[in-house]
Amino acid sequence: MVLDSHDWFVLHCFRGAVMALPKSFKRSLWVFHINTGSCNGCDIEIIAALTPRYDVERFGIKLVGSPRHADVLLITGPVTRQMVERVKTAYEQMPDPKAVIVIGNCGSTGHTFHTSYNLVGPVDNIIPVDVYVPGCPPRPEAIIDGVVKAWLKLETLEVKNEQ
Amino acid sequence: MSKMSYSLPIGPIHPALKEPVMFEFEIEGERIVNVDFKVGHVHRGIEWIGTQKNPLQILPIAERICGICNISHPIAFCIAVENAAGIDVPERAQYIRVIVAELERIHSHILWAGVAAHEIGFDSVLFLTWRVREKVLDLIEYLTGNRITKAMFTVGGVRRDITEDQYPKIREALNYYKEMFNKLKHVFLDDKTVMMRSRDCGILTKKEALELCAVGPTARASGVKKDVRVDYAYAAYGDLDIKTVTPDAVTGEVKGDVYDRIIVRLLEVAQSVDIIEQCLDNMPSGDLTAEAKPAKLLALLRKTVGEGVGRAEAPRGEVIHYVKLTGEEHPYTWKVRAPTYNNLMPWVPMLMGEQIADIPIVAASTDPCMSCTNRVTAVINGKRDVLTHEYLHKLSVEKTRRLMQ
Amino acid sequence: MSSKILTPEEIVKDFKQTFKSKVKETKIERKTVGVKKKERVTIWLKAEKESLHDMVKHLKNYDYPHLAVVSGNDLGKTIELIYHFTIYYGNPLHEILINLSVELPKEKPVIPTITDIIPGALVTEREKQEMLGVKIEGIPDSRRIFLPDDFPEDAYPWRKDGKGPQKMIRDLYEVKK
Repeated sequence: MVLDSHDWFVLHCFRGAVMALPKSFKRSLWVFHINTGSCNGCDIEIIAALTPRYDVERFGIKLVGSPRHADVLLITGPVTRQMVERVKTAYEQMPDPKAVIVIGNCGSTGHTFHTSYNLVGPVDNIIPVDVYVPGCPPRPEAIIDGVVKAWLKLETLEVKNEQ
Repeated sequence: MSKMSYSLPIGPIHPALKEPVMFEFEIEGERIVNVDFKVGHVHRGIEWIGTQKNPLQILPIAERICGICNISHPIAFCIAVENAAGIDVPERAQYIRVIVAELERIHSHILWAGVAAHEIGFDSVLFLTWRVREKVLDLIEYLTGNRITKAMFTVGGVRRDITEDQYPKIREALNYYKEMFNKLKHVFLDDKTVMMRSRDCGILTKKEALELCAVGPTARASGVKKDVRVDYAYAAYGDLDIKTVTPDAVTGEVKGDVYDRIIVRLLEVAQSVDIIEQCLDNMPSGDLTAEAKPAKLLALLRKTVGEGVGRAEAPRGEVIHYVKLTGEEHPYTWKVRAPTYNNLMPWVPMLMGEQIADIPIVAASTDPCMSCTNRVTAVINGKRDVLTHEYLHKLSVEKTRRLMQ
Repeated sequence: MSSKILTPEEIVKDFKQTFKSKVKETKIERKTVGVKKKERVTIWLKAEKESLHDMVKHLKNYDYPHLAVVSGNDLGKTIELIYHFTIYYGNPLHEILINLSVELPKEKPVIPTITDIIPGALVTEREKQEMLGVKIEGIPDSRRIFLPDDFPEDAYPWRKDGKGPQKMIRDLYEVKK
């Protein structure tokens, strides 16, 4: 069965409504990062958010090496043809509940690479996205703000489930 | 002979090395016998995009080829267009170009030092070096307005000035790095475990470096003295007193292994601090650009017919751009070659004969900037098994713990 | 390294004497930089395509050449390949950049490989095969290097005739209906 992006969106909302979030979700958030062809500017600002000056590890946010352990997916870069399958696979491997954050302008709209022969649409043509963090590259403070917004969104879903 | 195919993304949190590199190794026991690579996952079609825009619109695209070597691509592009059109850059602009390029080199080498420490297993050194790096990023933000994409250059000069009242802050940051340098040197070069993991590991001989056209610190650590700043002067490097850095300055001999590459990069940080001081002491006065009004500049470039080649020295090696202008709005051809392309083939002799646990540190020692390159795969007959990066990183850290006992 | 450093004029004269009519055009460019006006030199050479392999071998007499990259132009009826070499690196302010260009007819764009002289040329030669449709004889590995495997066979991104990447171009900002 072949699903297009509208079907993915409906499935995501359905899943969010049915699954209740575990209580431990309020304490820590594990993050998996994929680079789909970016220039690495956004990637080094994500890593800079972990270093002692911005230090997100004190909130319990941690980078993990496999999508099966992650709650949040961070995507950078305009998606190239070689990376489309990997993005979809990583999204499917993540357990519910999950959130997707797009960091940087390339993933949101394509930015300077908006017309090319090897790029396949911005990220929301491929998987449903919850939070967009614009900037080229966005500062670490903006990235932390984006992760917090995703966190709040997942918590409001939980509150709706309990009602 | 067990044959397994490993698809190996390297470095769990190194941004530049994460997905883009796919290695396929042929393994016999614990040793590697064959290496193959496959690159191309970051191919965005930049050279084709450049033929649809005019030269001033190409400058922001050139900056975003790589977020870490962010200054070198615009410099090489500007030099190529200036050579094709016969534009002379004023002297003050040339000195400002050198200052910003050396600040980028400091930040890039310290970034790499943290990543190399992480691959060996010293996470606390990663956090120490990246905290040290924040000082140079503050200075860059003070001078140019942004941490990463600086947008300082235009065809024919620079866009912003560095005035006398900004000098005290620059000198304060440079003094901080002079004190920090001895600490970094002590942490990396005097540590027994770092020496045990990196000495005689991932060796690239001088003959192989010459034949495979290696560039940058990878070539200099093997004894081949290639440095565009010293040999083929551009901007203000012709006036300055600099020498090519090779590892025999510290150890007295050249072996071409991972330890030598660490030495070359740390010494270059000290050299960059020295270069910036020389520029501040000798800064000439004058204009910032050859042609201040963008509309007039575009009109001039629209009439130009010619070809130009621009070369610059990025933190990773030589960058070369070729531009052909034919009297139209858009350039006819734009060719970009980032330094990591030439450093792909040296991976093969460096990895042959090494253990699996050494793959992360050897592959990271050439400082690949993956947005300029692609993957690597190794072929192993028989069974197909997929090794994740987490597993390889775990092997590397376990080897360090064993050696420390 | 080299035993003796020749001036650019001596190098051009040596090429013309060795290859006579195969060398079609030469040009020496000098530019100065900085306050002290240090010089840097570029040599442009146009040659017949049959003599490319011998000319690269001849460069080895001066110094082991460093191949920076091979760039390409689609000139309508011919395809031009420009090989960018540098020699005399390691000698401060004396490095010379040599741009050697050859033209191939579009009906038969074939050229022999130089990986037997300089093994490091493999990456850039593979790139020319897939970007311009040039066929390189004797290349040890002719797989695609940057384009994905499912890219159409006859779309060459740098060509300006009908065989360009036209059908693969997409606008990312388009809104799907």
